[in-house]
Amino acid sequence: MNIRPVVSALLRNRVGAILVALEVAIALAVLVNAAFIVGQRIAKIAEPTGLDQQDMFAIAMAGTTTDFDAQSSARDDIAYLRSMHGVVSAAPAGTIPLTGDGSNGELYLEPDQRGGSAVGSWLATDEQGLRTLGATLIAGRNFRASEIRHLARGDIDQAVPEVIVTQSMAHALFPGRNALGQVVYDRQNRPITIIGIVRDFVGQVGFGSPPYNVVILPQVPGAYGSYFCLVRTEPGRAEAILHLAERHLAASNATRVIFFAHTLDYYKAQLDSDDRNMAIFLVVVTALILAITCLGIFGLTTFNVSTRTKQIGTMRAVGARKRDVVSHFLLENAIIVGLGVLIGCTLALGVGYWLSMEYGLPRLDLYFLAIGVLILAVIGQLAAWQPARRAASVPPSVATRTV
Amino acid sequence: MLKMQDVSKVYRTDLIETHALRNFSLEVKSGQFVAVSGPSGSGKTTFLNVAGLLETFDTGVYELDGADVSRLSDDARSRMRNEKIGFIFQSFNLIPDLDIYDNVDVPLRYRRMKAAERNTRITKALELVGLASRMKHMPSQLSGGQQQRVAIARAIAGDPALILADEPTGNLDSLMARQVMDLLEQINEMGTTIVLVTHDPELARRAQRNIHIVDGLVIDSAPPYERRSTTVSFSADATGSRAG
Amino acid sequence: MLGYYFRLAINSFRRTPGLTLLMVGAIALGISTCIVTLTVYHAMSGNPIWWKNNVLYAVTMDAWDPSPADPYYSDHPERAPAQLSYRDAMYLYQSPIPGRKVIMTVLFGMLSGAPGESVPMQAQTQATTHDFFSMFDVPFEYGGSWDAAADNGPAPVIVLSKKTNDRLFGGADSVGQTVLWNGHRFRIVGVLDDWRPLPRFYDMTTSAWNDPQPVYVPFQWGPMLQAMPAGNSSCWGAKPVKTYQEFIGSECIWIEMWAELPTAQARARMQAYMNSYWASQHRAGRFMRPINNHLTKVSDWLRINGVVSSDSRILLRLAFAFLTVCLINTIGILLAKFLRAAPTAGLRRALGASRKQIFLQHLAEVATLSVAGATLGLALGAAGLTAVHALYASGGAYGELAHFDPLGIVWALALAAISTLAAGLYPAWTVGRLPPSLYLKSR
Repeated sequence: MNIRPVVSALLRNRVGAILVALEVAIALAVLVNAAFIVGQRIAKIAEPTGLDQQDMFAIAMAGTTTDFDAQSSARDDIAYLRSMHGVVSAAPAGTIPLTGDGSNGELYLEPDQRGGSAVGSWLATDEQGLRTLGATLIAGRNFRASEIRHLARGDIDQAVPEVIVTQSMAHALFPGRNALGQVVYDRQNRPITIIGIVRDFVGQVGFGSPPYNVVILPQVPGAYGSYFCLVRTEPGRAEAILHLAERHLAASNATRVIFFAHTLDYYKAQLDSDDRNMAIFLVVVTALILAITCLGIFGLTTFNVSTRTKQIGTMRAVGARKRDVVSHFLLENAIIVGLGVLIGCTLALGVGYWLSMEYGLPRLDLYFLAIGVLILAVIGQLAAWQPARRAASVPPSVATRTV
Repeated sequence: MLKMQDVSKVYRTDLIETHALRNFSLEVKSGQFVAVSGPSGSGKTTFLNVAGLLETFDTGVYELDGADVSRLSDDARSRMRNEKIGFIFQSFNLIPDLDIYDNVDVPLRYRRMKAAERNTRITKALELVGLASRMKHMPSQLSGGQQQRVAIARAIAGDPALILADEPTGNLDSLMARQVMDLLEQINEMGTTIVLVTHDPELARRAQRNIHIVDGLVIDSAPPYERRSTTVSFSADATGSRAG
Repeated sequence: MLGYYFRLAINSFRRTPGLTLLMVGAIALGISTCIVTLTVYHAMSGNPIWWKNNVLYAVTMDAWDPSPADPYYSDHPERAPAQLSYRDAMYLYQSPIPGRKVIMTVLFGMLSGAPGESVPMQAQTQATTHDFFSMFDVPFEYGGSWDAAADNGPAPVIVLSKKTNDRLFGGADSVGQTVLWNGHRFRIVGVLDDWRPLPRFYDMTTSAWNDPQPVYVPFQWGPMLQAMPAGNSSCWGAKPVKTYQEFIGSECIWIEMWAELPTAQARARMQAYMNSYWASQHRAGRFMRPINNHLTKVSDWLRINGVVSSDSRILLRLAFAFLTVCLINTIGILLAKFLRAAPTAGLRRALGASRKQIFLQHLAEVATLSVAGATLGLALGAAGLTAVHALYASGGAYGELAHFDPLGIVWALALAAISTLAAGLYPAWTVGRLPPSLYLKSR
């Protein structure tokens, strides 16, 4: 295959060739980096919450009067929820996992806030809390009913002598050691014993505590005149039971109202939505860029073929076969696309580097670059395939026609 | 009308220097019908390009209708081409996606004429060449002879002082060629200067003067030839192959 | 002449319908993507009170935990927390520095006793001082704010948002009527008009994309009723906080403060006031962290609080990359088309067109393309924004985002028109440059 006529044809229309190469380069840079980011977002969404959020829901209750008795109200509400068909377990909670509703705090290894510490969400609940959360104990034991403290109104900062922590929290406090039975201290230097360790699940999000760091407290909330009810249902029934519960509870007690009520799935979707939207946007725009680039190659090649019919006719007249004409145009296109891919690799790496610097994203995985190069090379050539074939059907007689 | 004195044009590439015109001198008086003939490569095309202000020249003087063209800017040359010269090419050079009316219209547009005046001129020009009924047709719907006649109409629509014709009959059969030449004579009789470039000696004989170019130089003109007058009528049939 | 050029342009488009469609379509897509991204970005990073940007200041002092292992912001340990403790807020609020000031917190609220509403309505309440409304240019539909005396009382007065008033009173003028707020009878003194600053710059301690609170009462009702704040509240220190009294005497921070300081002099005075307060408290054993008192204006406040997500900035750059691809595409196609049409251009030159006229003729073609692309792009952009609205409304922290932003649209259209014209300049100029004789040699 003689490459010189191909090169000379390209050099004749240098600017046009460079423009197409630039398009390919930008398309490659976008494809590679967008794919990388999308992959990351998907991974983030797929991160396990440690909860069966599709079978759980939360109801937030608030008293309507200043002398609202949260304790007895919560007791009644939880009792009702536990009695419902299809409910596996229900418990009061001070924090709704997967949301910002709740509180967090710090545990210290030594009194006076010395010796190291870890921050985690504070999840106050009763002895059925673990079951409701679906949290699996891997060491120690659950709270006993007698250990649960019921907070009266205004009881803001009650001491708890024992807590259960997640694995991550345990590891954060006692890396490499067994946290079970250890004593830690709260802000007020009160000693707290870790009586149980559960498998990781996500607690409060958005307010500075690492998501898997959770401290479970044996407390029924009520100090603020509001509380949450966490409910776990049989598989697939969360939505339905939530509606039923809402209807009943709304009417059953005039001293309090339902603040809000959602499945935990809803909260997970909320958490994911920014990443999901970003991924969608990236995919759409990348697809469009690829489409435009390919259409551009297709259109331009078709146009060029129709402009150069005389040249093609001449080629055929001097003995080129149809195959040779096709190869000529495909080779022209391959050189342009190849040039574009080359430039694009540098561009992609540059953009990837810049993204990691500016926005703290991890460094671009070269695997993505390789796949991107392959994709762009293939579709870039495919786009010119049909016009190149059309070129082959130009009759040799065109060479001699002048008008 | 057209006065060239010692005009030279050299084409230079990295390897070769081609003297397309050497000390070329020519004077064409207003109203004359002159043929410039010579073999291929003699410089006829270069002469035409220079005469038509399509190319610049290196040395010498060229006066067109009294004006020294070497001092003119590109804009001024364009204006001169537009107002003073009418071109007729061998391959007609009509714009394929404009209809006949619009094709004749092209040079008039660059003169910023009002629509009414343009319309009058176009209609008159097309009537002269016998194609007024085909105004809305596209060039592809006309025969070669008819297309060239449209090109002639385009050339005369602006009442140019000079018509430059480059092998106007080169792409036509003998019948159509005769029609075109008759038309040119008719135009010349109406007062327009015509310079015809050709390699066909038969064609050259129909002019009043024949200038012979070889290798960029003028070999003197042949004596004027008796002009015969011909009555011409054009039928408006589709093939346009009838005359007389 | 222009009309002639446009006629020639249309002719040219009809000659290559596929390529013309590709060019117009690509430009339109590029522009619409930019419009959507620009609008979203602008809305998300815009300053909803930009006209007062040099006048409103967030007041922050740093009384946080001095232990270096325990900064308030773990990723920015040098930064002061956004809120103040009760003690500090009260002191600063009562400063004699002229100029309006406001302190605020969020309380839990339950509204009842409105005619026609049998079920009590829960309402997060903005407990604040009377200057809130004038400082933040909050529009009123009926009535107005309470006055300074009501702040001191505190008087049982309340301001409702438009939505709350619609729900409780059917949108009628309810000024003068009463409702029960947390069981106490409050008199309505004002009803707000539509007001939704995005982001909610004055209170970003919970999501910056939430709506303003539905009801407003004087700040002192919190202490009066011993109601714990329902928003973001953070504490440190070893002293136990078991009662409300202890709470408001502690280092717990739960109050945001803003000051209106129109002149540099006022700002300097306020800063000096804060600094001398810091010094005296420091001597008494408080404010153990290095002095960190700030007056931050809104634009900086938004930036510091990281309100513009990096996502939207990435998307903005992506949109422009897309537009660039579309424009390069267009240049390439135009170049090819114009070069192919060069013989015709040469012919026109021979017939008397000047270089400028050839250039203008082709520029007209480019301009027509750009107008067509921009118009289509605008339509697509509107559709795209509707889709984005649906996407965001279904979830995510940004709630009901993406109102059509006229400034951004004008910007995007100007960008599109100019960039398309610029893209076409090179091809149009190239055609005009070619010598006419080049394309007329018939042999």
